[in-house]
Amino acid sequence: MESLLMNILGAVTTFLLAFAVGMTYGGLRRKIVARVQNRYGPPFYQNFIDAFKLYSKSTAIHHGAMHFLGPAFIMVSSVVSLMFIPVLTNNQWFPNLNFQGDLIFLIYIMVFGPLGMALGAGQTGNPNSAIGVTRGLSQMVGFEIPWVMALIALMVQYKTTSITGLLDIQVQSGHWFMFENPFAFSAAILASLGMFRYSPFDIVGAPTELASGPMSENGGKFLFVMMSSGSVFAFVKLTLIVDLFMGGASNLIILVIKTFLLYMIPVTYGIVSPRYRTEQSITYFWGWPLFFGLIAIIYAVFF
Amino acid sequence: MDIINIILVIFFAGALITAFAAKISSIVQDILFIGTILATSIIFFLNINTNTETIINLSHINLTLGLTPLSLYFAFIVFGLAVLAGFYAVGQMQGKKKKGYFYFNYLLSIAAMFGILVSKDLVSFFIFWEIMTWSSYLLVIYNGENVQKTGIKYFVLSAIGAYSMLMAIVIIHSLTGSFLISDLISGFNNMSANMQILIPVLLLTGFGVKAALMPLHIWAPDAYSNAPMSYTAIFSGALSKMGIYGMVIVFLTLITKLPQETLIRDIIAWLGAITAAISTLWAIKQDDAKRLLAYSSIGQLGYIVVGVAIGTPLAMLAGLFLAFMHGVFKSTLFMVVGAIEKQTGTSNLKEVTGLIRKMPWTFIAALISIIALAGIPPLGGFVGKWMLYESLITSNHYLLVTLVFFSSTAAFLYCYKFLFGFFLGQEEKEWSHVKEAPAIMVVPMLILSLISVVLGSFPQLILKPINSALSYYSLPDTYNNLWKESMIFNKWGDQVALTPIVYGVAIVFIVFAVFLFFKNRKTSRYVTTKDISTSGEVPKEHENLTFKENFFQPFLRAVEPAMKRQMDKYMLAFAKGLEDLFDFTRRIYNGNGQTYAIYAIIFVIILLLLSNNLFS
Amino acid sequence: MYNDKNKQKIVDIIKNAARKHSLWVLAYGTGCGAIEVPATMTSRYDAERLGVRGAATPRQADVLLITGYLTVKTLKRVIRVYEQMQDPKYVIGFGSCTINGGMYFDSYNTINQLDLYLPVDVYISGCMPRPEAVLEGFGKLQELIGKGIANGAQQYKENLDFYRENQKKVIKNWDFQDYNW
Repeated sequence: MESLLMNILGAVTTFLLAFAVGMTYGGLRRKIVARVQNRYGPPFYQNFIDAFKLYSKSTAIHHGAMHFLGPAFIMVSSVVSLMFIPVLTNNQWFPNLNFQGDLIFLIYIMVFGPLGMALGAGQTGNPNSAIGVTRGLSQMVGFEIPWVMALIALMVQYKTTSITGLLDIQVQSGHWFMFENPFAFSAAILASLGMFRYSPFDIVGAPTELASGPMSENGGKFLFVMMSSGSVFAFVKLTLIVDLFMGGASNLIILVIKTFLLYMIPVTYGIVSPRYRTEQSITYFWGWPLFFGLIAIIYAVFF
Repeated sequence: MDIINIILVIFFAGALITAFAAKISSIVQDILFIGTILATSIIFFLNINTNTETIINLSHINLTLGLTPLSLYFAFIVFGLAVLAGFYAVGQMQGKKKKGYFYFNYLLSIAAMFGILVSKDLVSFFIFWEIMTWSSYLLVIYNGENVQKTGIKYFVLSAIGAYSMLMAIVIIHSLTGSFLISDLISGFNNMSANMQILIPVLLLTGFGVKAALMPLHIWAPDAYSNAPMSYTAIFSGALSKMGIYGMVIVFLTLITKLPQETLIRDIIAWLGAITAAISTLWAIKQDDAKRLLAYSSIGQLGYIVVGVAIGTPLAMLAGLFLAFMHGVFKSTLFMVVGAIEKQTGTSNLKEVTGLIRKMPWTFIAALISIIALAGIPPLGGFVGKWMLYESLITSNHYLLVTLVFFSSTAAFLYCYKFLFGFFLGQEEKEWSHVKEAPAIMVVPMLILSLISVVLGSFPQLILKPINSALSYYSLPDTYNNLWKESMIFNKWGDQVALTPIVYGVAIVFIVFAVFLFFKNRKTSRYVTTKDISTSGEVPKEHENLTFKENFFQPFLRAVEPAMKRQMDKYMLAFAKGLEDLFDFTRRIYNGNGQTYAIYAIIFVIILLLLSNNLFS
Repeated sequence: MYNDKNKQKIVDIIKNAARKHSLWVLAYGTGCGAIEVPATMTSRYDAERLGVRGAATPRQADVLLITGYLTVKTLKRVIRVYEQMQDPKYVIGFGSCTINGGMYFDSYNTINQLDLYLPVDVYISGCMPRPEAVLEGFGKLQELIGKGIANGAQQYKENLDFYRENQKKVIKNWDFQDYNW
């Protein structure tokens, strides 16, 4: 009973940590974008204010059951995938469900969210939402391929598909997979550009083009849940890449440093890039990223 | 009399009586139909036994019938689906013409499938195979539309498959002197190397047609979409599995003994993966739900073929598990389409919209089946997909796994298209009259989707029979090794524990559903789908805001190069070439006596010229 | 109608503080004033540092920014957009046209006084008001929200008959659903 309570406590702590870190990163991104555009920019805690305001807004209308359940589906994806990712290397603090699933499972639970969002957006009946969703799903097919190839390269090289297993190998040997298989790292990073959906890949929620796409009918608490889910999910993605390629983190400070550096890649890439067209942003991932993925697998098999 | 004979007799008698019962009354016909299926399946499930063996003597040939653990597993699929789709069919056929015709062929094809599964010799296997082909052919042309096009396609390809199988059977008999499958297996080692290649290839061609393996798949989209949906549920769910059943036997018993084993396995696996990828792309393009699901069926069968062809224990588990899951979710989806077609009169995704509030139960069934199809945890489809990927990765098929992954991810697109097209989106006035389908149609769908959910957390229910089937063909025991209760492992010892996942997903989902739904349900009110942010415009009732045209256009544009080549066109070109060849022979045999006389003279001259060489 | 500050609960104070610093604006570019909005949002004046940010759809927005004159046709759309927004919501009337008709005061198809049709929380005068003035207007709105007296939406609910009467007077083809949130 006590261990169950501890587990729940650990899960809630992890969730709050991911929420806080994700939100702060989002705010920092806004600040950085503003500085690049020669603006002063909002304070870094602006996202917290926005989230709280959204939470306090009334939710006066809905479009049916799926409109409610869609955001819940997204949250399931974020939170459950968070539970399966080792946050710290020593596994003392937040073990959660780390040992119960592996990478293939994680890939699948991570696509649960977009599909849930798609259902929620579908029932609102807004044509913009549906267009955004079709774009998002198409783009997902694009970036999943190099991403999966990078992961396969790692799994093949080290003969394990478990995240904790891959992490332990790095911790014990002291070598980061980032340097052991640089091609896999490049493929994963390029794929993560699409995962973050910042420009030039922001075709899903393009505010000026699709009126924020799938979110267009969601205000108030719906948007609050989507926003928190997005923040948690950003943390999940960053921590996953840190765990897989950068040797994990032994304490929170190192984790924050590593994830923040990683986070800067899509952010800085996005600031200077205009938006791609939809098919460009799909085929982008089938060019160099796919090539790197192939090289990574060849490297993993033969070297 | 033996149980198997009793079941077959009930089937054939029931089929005949049901067909002619229309003279008495329509309801009697329904009752007889359901009665036949229920009686046979109850007898079957109560007397499951793999030891019984019956021998029917037909002049000089003994037909040996009996169950093996593998056929028992497939018989579960057949009978389970037959019962549920049978109830559904009664609902769907209400007030339709040619009911007797439908019931007769339905029962006959179930009987034939059962016959195939219990055949222990090749003759009865072939006889039942042909009965299955014929009865399904008659149902493909049931609605009398496009008989020429779809019927001929299905017929020709089935004939190709049947003839190659027949040829294999004849060769086997001439080499071993027996029709028994067990004799083939034991005598296979003594055959010459050429025959060892030829026999499996011929058999695989025969099975590949039913399993819709590229390049023999071209009949499937038309045939699946033309048959009545209650039969397509069986057609795609169970009948296509007969091809898989044959393939499993060929791979487990024959191909393992070949020196070129890996090559053949790789070729078939690649064919399966390419089938999956290409048909997934075509499924995305379809606007008719039936055709979409038909292409999706081909794709899903591609995964199963990949698993079966790779043939490591984990891959076999994956293939057979996916075969069961595909039977469950795909027949549900075909039933959903049938229900919608019955209620609205069309199955075009572009026309029907926003049925979620009108047909909520159908939606739930569709949603669960779609999630299972997409392979998203915690439903049953995920278990099969996971095992497939892990088996491919651990057996060094890295590019194959990438291709399979691509098609599996692209499958989300048509999944969403299906759900969005029918259930979500704008609610149009045109469909405001639509009501939920009758209970007799909805309940089977819900039962099937419940099975998808249950298998997601308790895969051992299915893995146990699969394991015993594989052990029968002397594969290593997989219990404790690759799966244990609700945990699944790979060769490297990495695991997925399904129970905590299910709990985790359920808890998080419920927490946030409560947070959103139950907290806000009272304070918020429902607004129609016309009340959306349309830049302040007030859409009129008749204004259609639905987004349906060119649904995945950017994606299809991106993958256009892969879709340029169509197997259909190659086949047609081949047929054209054959026609030209026959045309040429017609010029030789032109029916003119004088020409034939010249041929005779030419022949004699040639003989005379060559006589020295030939008869010396 | 006006809340006394003493009567505010603690929660309200926190909520108002958050609302005040997070204003998502739906800039309804009805008239020439729309040209001032980009200037306000971008580098030179940077409204985002005050928490003011563009929203894509009325469901997400807090502030409806009416930038300039309103023809009768646009008025209908503006009312529709306003009614689609979720509580709490505020309206800023931007430019002289929304106050008294401005240079279009005698036009046959514009309205002269926005106040009669929608509850305006803050007016920004000028023709055009410069971005500084717009920021000043946002500051004023923030001040009102902080005090808890920017309750135009409540006013709209309470005096719905009055507003509806005025609206129906100018909008001839009235086809709205009832406003009940």
